[in-house]
Amino acid sequence: MKRPDKTMVLLILAFLVAASAMIAVFGGPRFINPFSMSAMESEIVLMIRLPRVITAMLMGAALGAAGAVLQGMLRNPLADPYILGLSSGATLFAAGAIISGISVIGGFTIPLMAFIGAMSTGAVVGVLGYKRGGLWPERLLLAGIGVGFLCSAILMLMMSMADSEGMRHAMLWIFGDLGSADWPLIPYGAGLIAAGIFIAEHRRRGLNSLMLGDDLAHSLGFSPRKETALLFTAVGLLTAASVSMGGMIGFIGLLIPHIMRFLFGADNRLLIPASAMGGSALLLISDLIGRTIIHPAEIPAGVVTAIIGAPYFLYLLRRRDVLGI
Amino acid sequence: MLIRPVVLLMALLVPFGHAFAGDNAPKRIVSTAPSVTEMLYAIGLGDNIVGVTTYCDYPSAAKSKPKIGGMSNPSLEAVVRARPDMVVLTTDGNPKEFVARLRSLKIRAYVFKARMIEEMPMAVRELGAELSAGKRSADLASCIESEIGVFKRIHKPRGKALFIVWPEPLVVAGGGSAVGDAMSRLGLVNVASADEGGAKSSYPKFSLEEAVASAPDYIFIGMSMGDGNNIKELSRPLIKRLKNTPAAKNNRVYFISDNLYRYGPRVFMGMREMLDLMDKDASASINKKGCVIE
Repeated sequence: MKRPDKTMVLLILAFLVAASAMIAVFGGPRFINPFSMSAMESEIVLMIRLPRVITAMLMGAALGAAGAVLQGMLRNPLADPYILGLSSGATLFAAGAIISGISVIGGFTIPLMAFIGAMSTGAVVGVLGYKRGGLWPERLLLAGIGVGFLCSAILMLMMSMADSEGMRHAMLWIFGDLGSADWPLIPYGAGLIAAGIFIAEHRRRGLNSLMLGDDLAHSLGFSPRKETALLFTAVGLLTAASVSMGGMIGFIGLLIPHIMRFLFGADNRLLIPASAMGGSALLLISDLIGRTIIHPAEIPAGVVTAIIGAPYFLYLLRRRDVLGI
Repeated sequence: MLIRPVVLLMALLVPFGHAFAGDNAPKRIVSTAPSVTEMLYAIGLGDNIVGVTTYCDYPSAAKSKPKIGGMSNPSLEAVVRARPDMVVLTTDGNPKEFVARLRSLKIRAYVFKARMIEEMPMAVRELGAELSAGKRSADLASCIESEIGVFKRIHKPRGKALFIVWPEPLVVAGGGSAVGDAMSRLGLVNVASADEGGAKSSYPKFSLEEAVASAPDYIFIGMSMGDGNNIKELSRPLIKRLKNTPAAKNNRVYFISDNLYRYGPRVFMGMREMLDLMDKDASASINKKGCVIE
């Protein structure tokens, strides 16, 4: 396949994200004309829709990029922050903070707890996946699934012991919900995501070399251990940001890198930014659907991404040429 | 040869059968919902209750009853261990298949189906008949009827309102809930009711921008028992985001007790509470007593 022009691809994707964002801000359940807004409409746009749309963009970008990095790093097309248990770990720690009421300390508590959760889960999964001087992709995936189940089980346990309302609160978090997205969390989320994408972009050559296998990476002058550690930190930052802004949203990290790799090839210099933008667009549209179709009631965005994503993923599973990196 | 033992057996069993048929009043009742527990106390059967859910906290005597689990997840085993001769369930919160499980274990079960205020007197009479508490339930039913009448008399349009059940994610009382029913009986237009272009479900997860766009004149935030401070804390960001609604501008954002959440005589106490917040004169014109039995 001919390598597509990087600038062109990114411009098209950027346009797609911008167009989705515009529709999400002004379309929504009720169309708002940007050129003649009443006071109430401008309040809705500024205080409700914009923070929500920006949150969706950031979360989608984080999930898409995290998926692309993990899939390359582990040479496994099934890797994503959910399969590896990182999201469950982040959610467990963040929900624990909410249920136990630590959340009132400050806006940074939840993102920080989510980051600690993602990283410590990542470390445990990493240790379990490590054997004879290297990370084994299969061991890592199985460890991730096991640890993820454990985290989910502990979360369920905590929810069962909490009061009914606390449980409902955490419940919607598990499904991933943007209905309460507001400005205060955005700077923290954006900061973590910027740091994560910066590290991933900075180490993209290392990531490309890792995709060839640890031995080849070594002979190309990269330390696989160092690259893996740095990239894992990037994924931890991205996962924590996404979970703390809107809970667990699945399938974007799995699906978008697949589509982007299918369209534009496996070179991470293009794949990471393309997956970030693709993730943004998908979550923007999913959330738009979720808040529009049964308006004024809402469906959590995570439910919509799962309904769109799961069948597409199953379809992809049957195409071995797409799965084989 | 076998006739004699069989006759003997029948002779032994008949008096028992007779006793069952004659005295049908359950002596050991399990309640699987807080509203049912309150209703049972209100018709004078509190002493016969041998099991309640962990959420049953009213009247306070209910708190010391043995627990049989939650409302959505009652423990079948705990119910059986309570050796009930009657289990009272509700369609509003209990799992449907639980009744079938109970009946397959030959445990008598009565399912309380009423959800709207209009249905309450009838439902109370029916419950009383089922539990052989006819006299007390008839008294309660007529008290509830007079309560309904009281609020009909003071009914007048009082504007638009939103009742928040949980601030984040935003969950509100829809038209199909007893809370929504209580609001319309007070002359409030529930902006989340389906008649107003709102949602169909009883407690929908609601769109924040709709909450702003519908411009409610009153916002009520329900506090469940023991959780009041938590709700106040959690509601702070939401209240800030609703600051330009008529309700917030006129200082009409109120926290309100859990009276309205319990389908039973306490609903009218909740309505009194709401009325008192909106219209002191109308509230002063009606009696304060209600039909609540402590």
